[in-house]
Amino acid sequence: MNTPLPKRIWQWFTRTRVGRSIFRIGLPESNLERSQVMVSSFLLHVQPAKVNRHSLRASYSLGLGLISLYLFLILIVTGVLLMFYYVPSTEKAYDIMKDLQYVVSAGLVIRNMHRWAAHLMVLFVLLHMCRVYYTGAYKRPREFNWMIGVGLFLLTLGLSFTGYLLPWDQLAFWAITVGTNIAGYAPVIGLKIKYLLLGGNVVGQEALTRFYALHVIVLPAAALLMVAVHLWRVRKDGGLSRPDEPGDIVQQVELKQLPTNKTYGLMELARGTTPQVGQNPEDEVFSWPHLVFRELLLFLLVAAVVLFLSIFWNAPLEELANPIHPPNPAKAPWYFLGLQELVSYSAFWGGVVVPGLLVTALMLLPYLDRQRQGVGRWFARERVVANTIFTVCLLTAIVLTIIGTLFRGPNWGWVVPWEQPPAITEGH
Amino acid sequence: MNDLSVRKFYAWFTMLGLLVGVLVVIGYYRDEYREWKNYQHKYIQEEIRRASTPQQLALAKQIPVQIRQILLPDLNRVDRCTTCHLAVEDPSYGGYPQPLAYHPLHEQHPFDRFGCTICHRGQGRATTDADAHGNVPHWDQPMLPLQYIQASCGQCHEAADNPAAPELARGQQVFEDSGCRGCHKLNGIGGVVGPELDKVGARRSPEWLKKHFLAPASVTPGSAMPPQKFSETNLEAIILFMLSQTGESAPGYYASMKVIPSASEGQRLFQQKGCIGCHSIGGQGGKIGPALDDVGLRRPVEWMMQHFRDPQAVTPGTVMPRFGFTETEARALTDFLMHLRDQKVALSLPSLMSPGERGREVFRKYGCAGCHGADGKGGVPNPNAKTAEQVPGLIYVADGYTKDELKKRILNGQREITALDPKRPPPPLFMAAWAGIIKDSELDDLVAYLFSLKPKEENPGF
Repeated sequence: MNTPLPKRIWQWFTRTRVGRSIFRIGLPESNLERSQVMVSSFLLHVQPAKVNRHSLRASYSLGLGLISLYLFLILIVTGVLLMFYYVPSTEKAYDIMKDLQYVVSAGLVIRNMHRWAAHLMVLFVLLHMCRVYYTGAYKRPREFNWMIGVGLFLLTLGLSFTGYLLPWDQLAFWAITVGTNIAGYAPVIGLKIKYLLLGGNVVGQEALTRFYALHVIVLPAAALLMVAVHLWRVRKDGGLSRPDEPGDIVQQVELKQLPTNKTYGLMELARGTTPQVGQNPEDEVFSWPHLVFRELLLFLLVAAVVLFLSIFWNAPLEELANPIHPPNPAKAPWYFLGLQELVSYSAFWGGVVVPGLLVTALMLLPYLDRQRQGVGRWFARERVVANTIFTVCLLTAIVLTIIGTLFRGPNWGWVVPWEQPPAITEGH
Repeated sequence: MNDLSVRKFYAWFTMLGLLVGVLVVIGYYRDEYREWKNYQHKYIQEEIRRASTPQQLALAKQIPVQIRQILLPDLNRVDRCTTCHLAVEDPSYGGYPQPLAYHPLHEQHPFDRFGCTICHRGQGRATTDADAHGNVPHWDQPMLPLQYIQASCGQCHEAADNPAAPELARGQQVFEDSGCRGCHKLNGIGGVVGPELDKVGARRSPEWLKKHFLAPASVTPGSAMPPQKFSETNLEAIILFMLSQTGESAPGYYASMKVIPSASEGQRLFQQKGCIGCHSIGGQGGKIGPALDDVGLRRPVEWMMQHFRDPQAVTPGTVMPRFGFTETEARALTDFLMHLRDQKVALSLPSLMSPGERGREVFRKYGCAGCHGADGKGGVPNPNAKTAEQVPGLIYVADGYTKDELKKRILNGQREITALDPKRPPPPLFMAAWAGIIKDSELDDLVAYLFSLKPKEENPGF
């Protein structure tokens, strides 16, 4: 068989002295090398040498977690590029947005990529959560990883929300004003939290400084750390969930049961589930190339979609922020519009009780739902009650968000999006 | 993994890799090929075409294709208009079509200090045709139509002082005469019935303003403002004056340039700085210094300028202090004194006027006529007001109020106007509370004026 040219060049390079010192293994030719390449590379060793066929099935995971991770990486890269220009100053921020558009090479595309990838990340983290729910993947032993996942979802919202303010246009200013007002509805601590976030009672320079610091260091660092823990737990909890896994038996081995009158090698101490334990070797394939290639392909797909969106659609930028001319209606970012719709009925119930209960329920879900059946299959019949409850909540949230986004006009009154809204002018 | 599936992977890699590659190329192309580069290439071609010597040709070929911009930190602007309008400073491009047309140089407003958008508006940072000229969503300062260009003078200069902007001065006159301030506050003076006008020119278009004056409710549903009956010229003038109210601050260098030295500015300075305390004009004023009626005949301009800079320099031992006038102020004062030589000027010194005369000025200053009619004669409609659906006239206030009652009425206003028919919407116009806006002395004068309005011949016949 003809070896393709790029592969031949790569093979030659990895056999040179320099190439060998960097890559050690080179392109693996045997099964032994396929294992070695996974273990010897920093980036690849996060993943197992062999992976269950079930985990590779696109129809099971849909790649949603990985897509979220890729979007996060795109956001880090484009975010750093934007930081080379951005100044968190109410005097300059907006002008810099204009300069990015008009004079910075690729400035507009990079800002677009950052914006669209951010929206997509909120969407895909949510979808990923739905996938994990509908496949019952949060059950033992993955309870804690579900909680970390919920934390990552909240961090994603926080990252998107803090980034929303930075362009310092009307959209940013009033979305953050509305969003932080919702936070202010919480009893006792609400106004304190709002004050802490904004560094004052209204959105101004202090708020911009704080949101910037949160957006570029605090939240990304926290998210990176939690992503690392999340991935680590995926491996330690036995890879992706799948039906009929025996992992729990191993999980129950307790460290203290080991006799203490001898020394132990690392292999003896390591415990918990790994993909190998109790598995039929025929269910498994080598991660190289089966997993790694799929992951790379998915990255190319995500990059293509984000690039496509960013080339042909520009991120919104409205007028310079003007604290004395609120748009009517002033709307929060889209993922909070369901919340804003709820708040329009009751600030306390809609802004505090319902979202508070929802987040608490999500966090505690694996400990509330202790049924063992139905793991690793979509919409398992055993989980029909749990799935129904979740679906109702999800649909309610979606409907509220759609109403808040499309059907709310001036003074939060009902409008029909396909009819021309009445012209809005300030009254005398 | 068998060979077949590996081949499938390679096929996918190739396809997706190509897709990403194509997208990157498209992105690069769209980023690299910007509208303004076309204009620059056209300019360079034109320069090459015009070159008559090898040196000129070499120079023309060296013109770089790059963003050109005027940085104006004090005005908080970056004007990139010259990225496309490359020949604005080259008179040989006079008569060329845009974007290569020449812009006559304005001596007092050099391009490198003023840029373009401070007068023409539009979006200085933008580098595309549509965005730069500003007729795009989310940009509320499109280019000012040339017929209103004098509005830009009024952003910095006093309207009345600018001989180059007669339309602006006329607009201000219409504004003050029409009593707009009765309801609208501008620069801190005026009522609270309608919105403040301090930055109205920055957020309203000429079209909006025109509709607003002719039929206020058509642009602001439920507006209390009565439709205005301006002549066509006055309408255009007041639109222009409104457009000049942008709240633009011009600090530093620009502040010193703001004052246009003119006789009227000099007269204002003369009154404001208290010159009249020592000097006299037309027999009015102090006797310590010389009378100034014919000083323009006695002294040359340069002497007067020096006199304002440093009195000791031209008249050693004089008691006149150094006032520290700026050059512009000295120039304005000199202009005023030279003007006196040719023309008799009556100083309108408040201290020389009667309370009633001063009150008339107060009546005008705060725009009372806007609602109460010229000279308080009434006639302005206020639908559903019990007072014949009009804002009441003021000529008989002396019969209905004591002076103290009237003052209280002016200071406190009346928010709720009694309706003729309670079922109809309440009357839109109401009496603003002027407490905190009008000064005590002004109030005294105003009341004196209002009491003087009562027609003399109509004495009660008993």
